[in-house]
Amino acid sequence: MTLRRSESIRRTVDRLVFLGPATVLLALFFVAPVIVDVAIAFSDMGRNLRVTEFTTENVRHVLTGDRRLVGVMTTTFIYVVSTLAIFNIGYGLVLALATTALPQRTGAFFRAVWLLPRMSPSVVYALLWSWVVAPTDYGLLNQIFTALGLSPIDMKSNAPMLLIVLANGFIGASFGMIIFTSAIRSIPEHLFHAARVDGAGELAIIRHVTLPAIRWQLSFVTLYQALALLVSFEYIWLITDGGPFYDTTVWALYVYKRAFGSGQYAYGAALSLGLVLIGIAVALLLWRFFDMRAMLQKPRIEVA
Amino acid sequence: MNPALAEPVPVRGVDDWALLAARARSRRRMREILLYAFMALGALPILIPYLWLVTVAFSGRTGASTFVLWRTLAVLLPALFLWSLLRLTLRPGRVLTAIEIALGVFTVALIALLSGPYLHLDNWRFLWNSNIADTIKGASGMGVKYPSVWTAFGNSLLLAGTQMLIVVSVATLAGYYLSRFDFRGRTGYLKGLLVLQAFPAMTLIIPIFLMLYWIGLLDTLAGVILVVAALELPFAIFVMKGFFDAVPWDIEMSAMTDGASRRQAFRLIVLPQVKGGMLAIAVFAFLRGWEEYVFVTTLLLSKSNWTMSLYLFWMRDDMMGTDYAMVSAMGVFYVLPSVVLYTFMQKYLTQMTLGGIKG
Amino acid sequence: MAEIELRGVTKRWGAVTAVEPTDLRIDDGEFVAILGPSGCGKSTTLFMLAGIYAPTDGEIRFDGAVVNDVEARDRNVGIVFQSYALYPHMNARDNILFPLRFKPVSREEAGRKVEAIATLVQVHELLARKPSEMSGGQQQRVALARALIKEPQLLLLDEPLSNLDASLRLTMRGEIRRLQRELRVTTILVTHDQIEATTMADRIICMSKGRIEQIGTADVLYHQPDSLFVAGFIGSPPINLLAGIAAGRNLRVGEATLSLERSVDGKATLGVRPEALRLGERGVAGEIDDLEPHGRETIYHLRTPLGPLRALEPGEAARFRIGDTVKVDLGRALLFDEAGRRIADARPALAA
Repeated sequence: MTLRRSESIRRTVDRLVFLGPATVLLALFFVAPVIVDVAIAFSDMGRNLRVTEFTTENVRHVLTGDRRLVGVMTTTFIYVVSTLAIFNIGYGLVLALATTALPQRTGAFFRAVWLLPRMSPSVVYALLWSWVVAPTDYGLLNQIFTALGLSPIDMKSNAPMLLIVLANGFIGASFGMIIFTSAIRSIPEHLFHAARVDGAGELAIIRHVTLPAIRWQLSFVTLYQALALLVSFEYIWLITDGGPFYDTTVWALYVYKRAFGSGQYAYGAALSLGLVLIGIAVALLLWRFFDMRAMLQKPRIEVA
Repeated sequence: MNPALAEPVPVRGVDDWALLAARARSRRRMREILLYAFMALGALPILIPYLWLVTVAFSGRTGASTFVLWRTLAVLLPALFLWSLLRLTLRPGRVLTAIEIALGVFTVALIALLSGPYLHLDNWRFLWNSNIADTIKGASGMGVKYPSVWTAFGNSLLLAGTQMLIVVSVATLAGYYLSRFDFRGRTGYLKGLLVLQAFPAMTLIIPIFLMLYWIGLLDTLAGVILVVAALELPFAIFVMKGFFDAVPWDIEMSAMTDGASRRQAFRLIVLPQVKGGMLAIAVFAFLRGWEEYVFVTTLLLSKSNWTMSLYLFWMRDDMMGTDYAMVSAMGVFYVLPSVVLYTFMQKYLTQMTLGGIKG
Repeated sequence: MAEIELRGVTKRWGAVTAVEPTDLRIDDGEFVAILGPSGCGKSTTLFMLAGIYAPTDGEIRFDGAVVNDVEARDRNVGIVFQSYALYPHMNARDNILFPLRFKPVSREEAGRKVEAIATLVQVHELLARKPSEMSGGQQQRVALARALIKEPQLLLLDEPLSNLDASLRLTMRGEIRRLQRELRVTTILVTHDQIEATTMADRIICMSKGRIEQIGTADVLYHQPDSLFVAGFIGSPPINLLAGIAAGRNLRVGEATLSLERSVDGKATLGVRPEALRLGERGVAGEIDDLEPHGRETIYHLRTPLGPLRALEPGEAARFRIGDTVKVDLGRALLFDEAGRRIADARPALAA
């Protein structure tokens, strides 16, 4: 065996050993499922988990026949836009601005507090919310309300959308908070000095120096979090279970319930096709953002 | 001379300056107070429920008993308020520290006095009594058999731990290769990884479920381990690649000219340099496995396979109305490792540079 | 307009003292340079005057009134940063306009002011450009315009010329001097370049390690430096400093003996500027080790009984070559005591 031959064999072996496991796992659990999803969407798989024929019936039903879907889409839209605007972007920005205006350690402390929801396992977080909004007298919110002289409320029944927006928002705000904090910290100090001497007050500084400097991060967080919100259903599922009825059922939860709740796997797959497509599209868009920056910038994750 | 600039400038008298100074002082104080008040009030909705969790876990009995929480808060909140006032008004020094310590001791003593008598460990009996169904008052005598919490704990540990090991080893190998070797399709591979990192895996839950069913790994911990590990990979690979990129070539080159093979150089020289990255992704992966709920509940069916997240979920579902104090104790038990790991990571992460952004 | 006074102004960052208690007085309309090496506290002092940093101790007074607590925006100060600090997302016109947003000025008037100042500073053609589309010199002039548009009582310049190339530096030196004379605004320039300080400022404040070493005109600092630091900092090439021992009216430096016009005892340092050395017929015997031709002057590196010396001779052609022996005589020389303070009227000279 020539030197070149053994060298090339070794190189192939290297590639298999180093890159192989990763490629296998990624192909198996990312690429293959997409193909499977498409295939199943065009089948008739039901509770028995068997495919007897291929049909476009499910896809057609999704696109034209499902009346509930319209409501689900509206709910999803309202949920995503509200949570994104108010919390993920809005409050994330507020938290970043506020904690960077405080001395280092105090700011770090408050950021850590706002990371608690994200740090907790979803079941525990949902548990806490269930207590907070429990309609009986021992719900935390109701205890406060009765102490203030107001009548107890039942958020799960009367304001479920508000509930899921709040619950997801508290978690979502921390992502923006971290990204924006890091971005604000990297704005050169002298720009702030110059603005102060030029006569700008705090709000003017935010408007003219801070915000323009973090435009890229703002776009990134918006896109990334919009996608995340679109496909998230864990907290909604755990807190309101999509109810009452379908009032808080978002697209992703609807998919899950149809597939695993009603056993309509093919229909679920058909429903999720849209999500998968949007996921790929947004991921590609994000890649274009990343591509420009990933090589130039090394974003720091400063949890403190 | 430019006419636009030849206007006489009003001269400021001493009084004008004094006024400006006074205005600036009060403005600064107002800002500080508002900022602190805003942050403190905003933090309360988050902190109070967690405090609730902890106090109820140690004091609650079946029935509504949150008065321990309110008592503790009644002491804690004013104490915190006083403390922040102290910090804002006094200069750092021995006097301040002395007063702080005194305040701290006083607060703890007062809380111990007011709430102490009500603390008990009864809610923690699920730790040593695996037959909890029988210990709940008024449990529907359906004889529901719950697994012991330690089964769930063990399963969670197994899941998180194995998954962590897989992620660390696979990502380190892949990260090294992507960092050091050029091959046809490397850019494509990297771009693909970027896309995967942003892609939401949750959308693929149906096909993943089906695939595991076909392979025969449904309702096995092994199946879940593989899935969760795979989903964590894109992020982990990027982190490791970043770390490997930061290790200079010369170290490896000199090792190889000293006689080491590529693999040996990798193992003995390069690997120790990226320990930080490996630690980071290990902790991230472990936490993800520990907290995972959706995939676990979908892919695991029998009770003996329950993880902590499932255990807590069913406990809450079944017992919320009757013995939520015990549920809260379970909650504390479950959340503790997360908090410990996150705090540990936080100190460590502050100095680190990671090659990607992840929430 | 603005008479600036610092009384005991100090700046501490935790345990580190950036500026020692400083007393200073600057007259209205003066052009003053704070000169010193990097890290000596000059920029910190400037920022305290602007209101960016608050003094840890002491008082800053404008026209007699204490302004420590007055915010930067109320101080009517214009500042040009070393990095220019132009807002990257705004074009030059908006950058210059920016300070006027916070003044009760109508849009038309603001526009007129921008035109006026842009013409004065000669950036009129650049108004539509963004900072990234401008060269360093252009950015600096825009920054200057921004600082001047609000007709400040005090103009602060933080190393404004250090990022410019040599020819541009020359031009801008003249520009800034001209502007300052025209507008008669009190100006404080911070720099580490002594040529900038000596050519632009009325008075120079020489700083080192947070402390003022000496204040005076360029002339005074050159001829009568109070300390070794000032003597070494002013003058290029730097002054020759040689260690010696004085006993009464005699000073022994190296192998040579010098006479003094007053009695001194103990260790002392002899300082003689390269341009003050006379090469020719009189003095101690020295050998030329090396020479640097600089076009209109030549710098010789000499080995003498006193020690190694650098001499500077004007003239296009070098009179000597490497290896030549020449006689070296001291012209004006200075003497510094053990602590580095100048001993007045010592007038060291080579013993006849």
